[in-house]
Amino acid sequence: MSASSLHPGYPLVCDQLGVGLPGRPLLATVHARLAPGRFTAILGPNGAGKSTLLSMLSGQRAPRSGSVSLGGRALSAMAVLELARLRAVLPQETAVAFDFTVQEVVEMGRFPHRQLPSRHEVRIAHDAMEATGVAHLATRGVNTLSGGERARAHLARALAQIWEPRPDGATRWLLLDEPTAALDLAHQHQAMALVRRWAVEQGIGVVAVLHDLNLALRYAHDTVLMGAGRCDVGPTGETLDAAAIARVWGVECSEVHASDGTPQFLVAAG
Amino acid sequence: MSGLAVVQPFPRRVPGRLSPRAALALGLALVLWAFVWGSTQGAYAITTAQLWQVLLQAVGAVPAPENAPEYLVFVNIRLPRLLMGVAAGAGLGLAGALMQGLFRNPLADPGLIGVSSGAALAAALTIVLGSYFLPDMPRTLGSWSLVITAFGGGLVVTALIYGLAQADGGTRIGLMLLAGVAVNALALAGLGYLNFISTDEQLRNIQMWLLGSLGGARWSAVALVGSLVAVACGLGLALARPLNAIALGEAQAALLGVPVERTKRLAVLVTALAVGAVTAATGIIGFIGLVAPHWVRLVAGPDHRVVLPCSALLGATLVLAADVVARTIVKPAELPLGVLTAFIGVPLFLAMLRQFRSKV
Amino acid sequence: MPRDTGLIERRHLLRGAAALPLSFALGQVHAAGAARIVSLGGALTEVVYLLGARSQLVGTDTTSLFPEAALKTAKVGYMRQLSAEGLLSLKPDAVVGTTEAGPPVVLDQVRSAGVRVELVKADHTWDEVQRKVATVGRVAGREREATALQADLDAQWAAVQKAVAAATRRPRALFILSHSGSPMVAGTGTAADALIRFAGGTNAITQFAGYRPLTAEAMASAAPEVLLNSTQGIEALGGEAAFWQRPELALTPAFRRKALVAMEASHLLGFGPRLPAAVRELHTRMQAITA
Repeated sequence: MSASSLHPGYPLVCDQLGVGLPGRPLLATVHARLAPGRFTAILGPNGAGKSTLLSMLSGQRAPRSGSVSLGGRALSAMAVLELARLRAVLPQETAVAFDFTVQEVVEMGRFPHRQLPSRHEVRIAHDAMEATGVAHLATRGVNTLSGGERARAHLARALAQIWEPRPDGATRWLLLDEPTAALDLAHQHQAMALVRRWAVEQGIGVVAVLHDLNLALRYAHDTVLMGAGRCDVGPTGETLDAAAIARVWGVECSEVHASDGTPQFLVAAG
Repeated sequence: MSGLAVVQPFPRRVPGRLSPRAALALGLALVLWAFVWGSTQGAYAITTAQLWQVLLQAVGAVPAPENAPEYLVFVNIRLPRLLMGVAAGAGLGLAGALMQGLFRNPLADPGLIGVSSGAALAAALTIVLGSYFLPDMPRTLGSWSLVITAFGGGLVVTALIYGLAQADGGTRIGLMLLAGVAVNALALAGLGYLNFISTDEQLRNIQMWLLGSLGGARWSAVALVGSLVAVACGLGLALARPLNAIALGEAQAALLGVPVERTKRLAVLVTALAVGAVTAATGIIGFIGLVAPHWVRLVAGPDHRVVLPCSALLGATLVLAADVVARTIVKPAELPLGVLTAFIGVPLFLAMLRQFRSKV
Repeated sequence: MPRDTGLIERRHLLRGAAALPLSFALGQVHAAGAARIVSLGGALTEVVYLLGARSQLVGTDTTSLFPEAALKTAKVGYMRQLSAEGLLSLKPDAVVGTTEAGPPVVLDQVRSAGVRVELVKADHTWDEVQRKVATVGRVAGREREATALQADLDAQWAAVQKAVAAATRRPRALFILSHSGSPMVAGTGTAADALIRFAGGTNAITQFAGYRPLTAEAMASAAPEVLLNSTQGIEALGGEAAFWQRPELALTPAFRRKALVAMEASHLLGFGPRLPAAVRELHTRMQAITA
């Protein structure tokens, strides 16, 4: 039918991408092909360039060198609105001016689609809030919520932005910057399970900056491991082993297995 | 947003807030009430029966006896003044809402981008220097010489502040705020100097211009200001959804596909156009741009699709109502409108601040 | 001056109807003069009373404070900031004022309602007073009384001028308008400057025009022999004793003799029918105090 049928979705490709802030030393060079339908975690210590890499993947920041392309087209060549229809970004923190309610904030996520609204516009916002468990807070002011509730409201907004499949079959991408930072234990796992399900069931490409290794091991298909001047990309199980952890974070840890067989790491004290 | 279905569990009505339709209806009703009330009030006594006659004559339903005094007073003096009040209030209210959305701060005011101080400085320059270069041209509130120079002055100063705020290929709102503070201070100093070198008569003219009044409303001025404000409203209302998204922060808005730089530029332009036109014709009328959007938000929520039009409607209502007081409370003399909006606006603003404090 | 408030009115006029004066609709008409007059300016109001036209006076501005009866007329506000509807609510047939009255837009609106508006140019000469008398006489339909008043005033003026010319000394005088911070003094081109010259003095300030603040040093170098002020100004300072305590006055020749002449403001600077009397009083007192 269309050219896209030749490609299994639109991968997000980093071609010798130099990650670093202007005027500061280069942090890493990333050469990776992030596949749709998979959950990729970006891990590393503070200052390794995780958020910077994510901002380059979203197109917010221009690459220092190299390029990022989506479906064969460089991000810099794509219009802002077109990009917004394809990928949603959840930042670390969002302060919302004025007294917007949760449902109004979630509806803001539908902005890129305002010229071609879906037939189910109203339901999308509602379903997104249900998915992240904030539907009961719909009429509350978003600034009156707790940190975790706020984070989940913004996650609903990001989900609403890419709720429906694209008519041309292009992959939708969900980029998350430390999405679990404010969430309590139960909600951390719920959110991670949710985005992994979206990746697997809907073919969405999910990329998340995480601090928690064990969450990555449980939910992320692939990992981009940054730190100590290098960048390793690969399936999570292979990329994250005790040796890599020791090299990147400088901590000793031992591997255990959860009851369902998922490898987890326990950090040795001291 | 989709239309309302008969039964819909969602979107839920927010408790304590008017729905968008109710808010717009209320705004329209208030403007209409204020307009009708303003039509019946004035220093020149016109009874309701006479007013009705005048209206019939105006639409040609009844033959008009030549030079009926009520007709001339209403059609030549009161009616253009009412229409100027609507245009002025709408322009100021809309501009205030745009500025608060742009700066993401409910305390923002159109004066931040310098259009009022630029207009004031240009007007004072015309009043003082004009006496040397163009001594025969009238230079008081409402004169064309002042309207043109004040409008130009407002645009020039706004352009200056906007230009100073350009950095890294875009407009930095924080820079604009600081540049606005600095340039406003400079304009104020310039005004002070002009006050100093002016003659007694020029000084009175400057002061009267600064205090603001709808007294200079002639049909030609109303047509000019009205059309500029109408254009501003048309352009401004299109900024409603982008401004909503900008409430999340400029970076997030860009990630949502909002053309942030274009939005900022258009907001500044529309504000300069509306406030410049109004200020040029009426002098400085303060607090409307600050108070009207805030009230709308308290009653109907912060969605700019409601706040922008309702701020214009509420602004028009406030100016019309204040002007009725201005021209009747010390009749046959008249209080400057800017004085009244400050006297009424400041206590209301303080009361709102208290409410605002407890809300957050 | 372009007038564009006439939009609606001109259409009526163009329909061919005779342009009947509004006074027909507003009230009875005197054969020659306006039945209802609004006067803008203290001097013009005084002339109205002197011509016996007080019954025709329906409103005055805030500077019309003399005679006392004027205080009881309807006040239309400050003459520079009038309200069109306010003026028209008094249903006048005519409005007289100086060219300082305004704003011009309002006067245009008043004219477009059919009211006769006559303005007298204020240039601080005796001619100004004559023009005021003539204009009021014309507007009020009292030309005979005006001519008589004119002759009377001209005679007074001639007598005063003669008396002033006879004096041998020309005292250096300085008029102080107000005393906030640095004193505001009258330079050339002001009403006070004209009064000083008429009264046979010289203005100690010749370097600038208009009212300007003066520093203490400049005051000392100007070296006025007599200081002029309005009674209202002295009152605002708290009396003559308080006036002389101002530090910048201490170095002036006037200070040694406490040479101050204070007269009521509208009498001194009003440029109305009391001008000959004001000039005579000023001359006499200046001569006396610098003798």
